[in-house]
Amino acid sequence: MTEVLGLPRPWWEAAQERLFFLPPFPEQADSLALFSLLLVVGLLIGEWLSARFRWPKLIGYVLAGTIFGPSLLGWISIEALAQARPIADAALGLLLLEAGRRLDLRWLASNPAVRRSTAVDIALSFFVIYLFASLVVGMGPAWAAATAAVTMASAPAVVLLTVEEFKAQGQVTERVILHTSISSAAAFVLFALVLGVVHAEYSDDWLNAVVHPLWVVAGAVLIAWGVSRFALLVARRLPKRSLAQVFILVASALFAVGLARMLAVPVFLTLFLMGALLAFRDEKQTLRYTELPEGHWLLAIILFVVIGASLPWHEFTWLTGLQALGLLLARALAKVGALYWSGKDLPAMKRLLVGVGIQPLSATAVFMAYELASLYPEVGRSALLLPLFAAAIMEIAGPALCRFALVKSGETALDDKSKGGIG
Amino acid sequence: MSDSIGEFTYSAPLTLGVELELQLVSRRDFDLTRGATDLLDTLAYDGRFGEIKLEITESMIEVSTLARATVGDIHADLEGLRATLVKQCDLNNIKVCGGGTHPFHRWAERRICPGERFDEVYQRYGYLAKQFTVFGQHIHVGCTSADEAIWLTQALGPYVPAFIALSASSPFVDGVDTFFQSARLNAVSAFPLSGQCPPLADWNAFVDYFKLLQACGIARSIKDLYWDIRPKPEFGTVEVRVCDTPLGIEMAAALAALAQSLSRYLLRTRPPLHAERWLHVARYNKFQACRYGLAAMISDPIGFCQVSLRDSLFALLEALAEDAEVLGCAQWLKVLSAVVQAGSGDAEWLRGRAAVHGNLHDTVRDASACFMEKTA
Repeated sequence: MTEVLGLPRPWWEAAQERLFFLPPFPEQADSLALFSLLLVVGLLIGEWLSARFRWPKLIGYVLAGTIFGPSLLGWISIEALAQARPIADAALGLLLLEAGRRLDLRWLASNPAVRRSTAVDIALSFFVIYLFASLVVGMGPAWAAATAAVTMASAPAVVLLTVEEFKAQGQVTERVILHTSISSAAAFVLFALVLGVVHAEYSDDWLNAVVHPLWVVAGAVLIAWGVSRFALLVARRLPKRSLAQVFILVASALFAVGLARMLAVPVFLTLFLMGALLAFRDEKQTLRYTELPEGHWLLAIILFVVIGASLPWHEFTWLTGLQALGLLLARALAKVGALYWSGKDLPAMKRLLVGVGIQPLSATAVFMAYELASLYPEVGRSALLLPLFAAAIMEIAGPALCRFALVKSGETALDDKSKGGIG
Repeated sequence: MSDSIGEFTYSAPLTLGVELELQLVSRRDFDLTRGATDLLDTLAYDGRFGEIKLEITESMIEVSTLARATVGDIHADLEGLRATLVKQCDLNNIKVCGGGTHPFHRWAERRICPGERFDEVYQRYGYLAKQFTVFGQHIHVGCTSADEAIWLTQALGPYVPAFIALSASSPFVDGVDTFFQSARLNAVSAFPLSGQCPPLADWNAFVDYFKLLQACGIARSIKDLYWDIRPKPEFGTVEVRVCDTPLGIEMAAALAALAQSLSRYLLRTRPPLHAERWLHVARYNKFQACRYGLAAMISDPIGFCQVSLRDSLFALLEALAEDAEVLGCAQWLKVLSAVVQAGSGDAEWLRGRAAVHGNLHDTVRDASACFMEKTA
């Protein structure tokens, strides 16, 4: 890039002598400009994959980030990636807010089969991954538990965006969303516990082992409680579903993201809790019907391009790749098996499809892994390569699997169009 | 492929059957949701109260009672069907709701149900099939002969505005107040074979008329006739099809009581039909009832004047008292008397809730609670 820009350098420097307002010759392209170009490329790849193969657009965004990110072509530097992180946090925060709002505990209360399949999915996924990581890969208990906590849940961002992209509606869709929300909640709780376990194993300082998980959980709860209360109080004075309410919802979410970043509390946990609290405490249905604006797709592009660019492909080894595939296979069997054997209130084929639909593993896993790795960078980074590679593989495969489940269940708009007539 | 009209099945006189098309709404935002096939896929139900079946789009479900002699039995069936449906819907995290239209759903988002008949309707009528996501109550009255059914079909014609006004529960469409009490029937009117039964002397005349439609390629089976009131030979009934699905099953039973006692009254007194004259004013009267409900002014082609629908309903309910007493459904007509007395029914109730909440999501939430919980 510098070479290209270097061509007019003599001309520029000559002009600089006469035109005093000209800045020094730019040695490097501005990272924001490059990042914006990357977003355009991501968008184009996503749209092309969607139009040509009907693949989820998310795959295109992740591919663009992976190809042009630091690991491969290097269009975008690690510094530029760090600059984009607040926007990615905001995007992930908004999507997790929505996932929290979809956490429907009333359904669990009214359907024993859903309760059972949720519990079995959570327990089986955690233990199968834990056993794989410790027995097959040979990880220590703390990192095996960390790997299980990070990878056990489905990906709310991927699931919600795929459901929205294909306009899916029906029992498979609703159960995929419910299982994703609840397994995310369980993963976040386990993640907090694992923080303590990692501290206990790698530090003699027991204070951190006890206080850090408490800080994470209490901080997230307090921010989520305060901001959700604030949002409901303000929104109550505004017309339901008005643009003003949408603004309050988005602004409150961004406020919570900012507070979480300030206090080093995980954004994903805080916003998920905020969404759940908004749903549970909204007795007057103040914000219940207010939806996120269409603009969240723009943020989603940024999120998935950043995730694609953050994946550590340069550290790829065949052994880790095979281990990641093994982990994903064990996880897939646990999830499909849990849903198949315990969710008996759906026909067998639909139970299997729910199991396939909850396979995505993505943004939250990557962010959780980096959060854990940053505690003890010298060991954490290498220890968490396995979940990061698993997440990297599922960045591509996850949206495709989720789409497959929704289309196969006949719950997408594609199914209706195939009948002809006006879709 | 054209179906033969078949023989007219004998029914015990004045037996009843009721079909209700119901809305399936999301518990999250109370918009219509896709859920009908999923509900039926896992429904464990022995059919003791009647049938639960698919309708044209995935956001609708139809319940139909068994053939019953009394309105009380119809009501009991409807209670049983409601309980079965509510329980199944709870398992699937959706709610059931009455009302002739969903106040704010977007018809383009509706999905056609799987099935050859539904596919064929979609192919033939295009977007009209999706816009047909409206919800009606059909009332079957048993007839002892085919000729009696043709006579009763025409004799009930002048009372179509009464059924429309009493059941009207569809004031909102596409998120706006239509100013209609029953906007549902506007969706039905778009179909080429909607409207009224032409003047017919007897069953043979009906068979000849239907053969003409078949020969001209207009109708294939009797299901293609979307008439306001039509004979239903396979059940041995006359079917009143103009009612909106009410918000509660009590009103549904009360409308069945009106159909039963009115049919008995007509068959007992055998008034002259004047079918051709009524045909001249039928569309106008139907519009009046849909638009103004009980406040409609109805044209009388025999007396050459306009009469207040509300006043004529007072007179009608009084005239039916004796027949209702004999049939054991007098108490159900009192439900209708109360509506006529108040001058407002389900449509005004919905407008009232919308005014209180300032939005239609909460209005549907209330309507759903009304259907799920209301008891006699």
